[in-house]
Amino acid sequence: MLIVDLVQSIVDGLLFGATYALIGIGFTLVFGVMHKINMAYAAASVGAAYAALRLIALIGGPAWASLLIAAAAGGVFGLIIYWLCFRFIPLSNPLATLMSTVGMFLLAEEIIVHTTDGMPQNYPVVVRGILDMGEFMIRGDLVFVFVCALLAMVVLLYLLYRTKLGIATRAVSQQPVAAQLVGIRLNHINALTFIVTGMLGGFAGALIGSAVGLLSPLLVIPLTIKGLIVTVIGGLGSIPGAIIAGLLVGMAENVFQYFRGVTERDIYVMLLLFVFLVFRPGGIFSNTVKRD
Amino acid sequence: MTIPRLLAASAFVTTMAISSAMPAAAQEREIRLSGFGAMSGVVRSFGINSKAALEAAADEINKSGGVKLGDGTKGKIVIDYFDDRCNAEEGISVTRRIASTSSLVGIGPTCSNVAEPLFGVLQKKVGDAGDSGLQFPIFTDVAIKGGLAKISEWAFRNVPDEGAMYAALFQWLKKTRPELKTIFGGVEEDFAHSRATWYAVMKEVAAKEGFEIKGEAKWLLADTNFTNQAREARRAAADIVAISAHPFTTCGMLKELGRQGVKPKLVIGLTSSSSLETLQGCAAEAEAIIIPTSFAPVTPEARAAADRAAKFNGSLDLHSGAAYEIVAILKDVIEGEGVLAKSDTVQADRAKIRNGLSKLTETKGLIGISKRTEEGEAVKPFLFVHAKGGKWEVLHNPTK
Repeated sequence: MLIVDLVQSIVDGLLFGATYALIGIGFTLVFGVMHKINMAYAAASVGAAYAALRLIALIGGPAWASLLIAAAAGGVFGLIIYWLCFRFIPLSNPLATLMSTVGMFLLAEEIIVHTTDGMPQNYPVVVRGILDMGEFMIRGDLVFVFVCALLAMVVLLYLLYRTKLGIATRAVSQQPVAAQLVGIRLNHINALTFIVTGMLGGFAGALIGSAVGLLSPLLVIPLTIKGLIVTVIGGLGSIPGAIIAGLLVGMAENVFQYFRGVTERDIYVMLLLFVFLVFRPGGIFSNTVKRD
Repeated sequence: MTIPRLLAASAFVTTMAISSAMPAAAQEREIRLSGFGAMSGVVRSFGINSKAALEAAADEINKSGGVKLGDGTKGKIVIDYFDDRCNAEEGISVTRRIASTSSLVGIGPTCSNVAEPLFGVLQKKVGDAGDSGLQFPIFTDVAIKGGLAKISEWAFRNVPDEGAMYAALFQWLKKTRPELKTIFGGVEEDFAHSRATWYAVMKEVAAKEGFEIKGEAKWLLADTNFTNQAREARRAAADIVAISAHPFTTCGMLKELGRQGVKPKLVIGLTSSSSLETLQGCAAEAEAIIIPTSFAPVTPEARAAADRAAKFNGSLDLHSGAAYEIVAILKDVIEGEGVLAKSDTVQADRAKIRNGLSKLTETKGLIGISKRTEEGEAVKPFLFVHAKGGKWEVLHNPTK
């Protein structure tokens, strides 16, 4: 029974970790391009899922449509965040954009709270079904999230390495001044990065809403924290790293909970982060230990 | 005398005549009562409903002639409401701010984790010159964790006694559903109320009534993944699953139980979850869940109060219903104790209200008479409700 439970915990954690991976990808992509952290990313993602839920309630439509609407809303929110928190803020000061996005995070959370009175909202199930093997079971919706995370990685890597937009984005990331000299519009590329990550975030927010079955402002802080942990463990700027780290954090969370209980669970996840910061500060896929 | 001067003189004479003929109206005073609770953050709905209930009750009293003060004049109740964000430091800060105004009573807070430290900054024993604690009456409507009013003689509560409610529920279940023998608990570990209710109330009274405790699963207020906990419930295969958690995680756990095909014969919920939030979050999964509550629109008074609160954009439940009752109780106390509501009698008025509240042995509530204990707590009448078709319906009235 112990082995079955342990395997089940690992599988559940890995699958649920896909939701963290999706959020982590957004954090890491913005960092990869602009070398900045967008603290409002998870809040905007949850906000986009709320927007989709509202629109679906208003005009009707199948549950899967909420994913597309949320992606569109996420893109809009991403652009708004770029304009309000990055476009006119001095990028040379690393604290400036950090604080502006923290402010946006709090604002987004309060907007959600005030528009919903903080009440949890039922979220439609996009994918149903459970693979039931007696004592062992696998949730279909989490497998869907898992597949989506892998697809997101493939699409983003394709965008970055096989398209003109990707080349421009990488140029901006590596040499912003040189990129401008060859005619790449810096602000345009940065704005596009925020739109793309925002769309991914909205999609992720809707998937998370569907996987949890609910939307609540309570999701915002844990997703932000998990997103940041995943970004650090995966390596700032590494998309495959974010995926692996998301799965790892989800699995670690569930396994620690299984062995040590819910009250100690987060202590061990934080310890995991600490271990990476000390022994592998560059993240999972870094070749060398880079420390001061 | 020109016509404008004549008109002005007439107006002056008329004004003087009216004011001398209506002394009471001219002297109508404000009785300031200050509500405080969560108006932001994830428990904002509690604050919204409490504020609406307080305003609705005050409006009703004011329309019916107001409150008779100690010198025979009529007073009008004015409600302020402050946000404490369900945060202990902010709750204490807000209370200190309210106490520095002409407000006579503080009504709140929403959260038990605010109430407990807040009561600690009040003067413990009345008249203790060595205790520099705040001398300001607090009458709590929502924070429900058991036994908090005994912390200070300035603290009073109009919250239901969960011990009595769940004891009655398990006794009733034992009598009417003899096939139910075992129980599995689910508890939100990091919230004072839900934790206390499972460990000190549900678990204890269930065991006392002969139900076998088959285990318990724990989670945190903001958790989203309940796979481990639902699996524990599945394995326990108990007849009853009791969920001591607030709506967000109650719904999360119910949904996961559904996914894993766990179908207990009965689900029992936490008092605070007998609200719209639960139905909005998971009406289908919460179908048939039973929760004891101290409010349901079962009497004409309760129905009228619910309608009035709705006009102030609030919903009456066991918490906001208590806020509504508090205003009515305070009206009686103010009238009975001869409160003056003058700017130079604020502290004396607060002391009178405190004395009046401490003397109460029973109060009239929306669904019946509540008893008052010497420790400042209420023993309120209650009902068992269950979720049916997306609504809360009365399942059983233990007083009948």
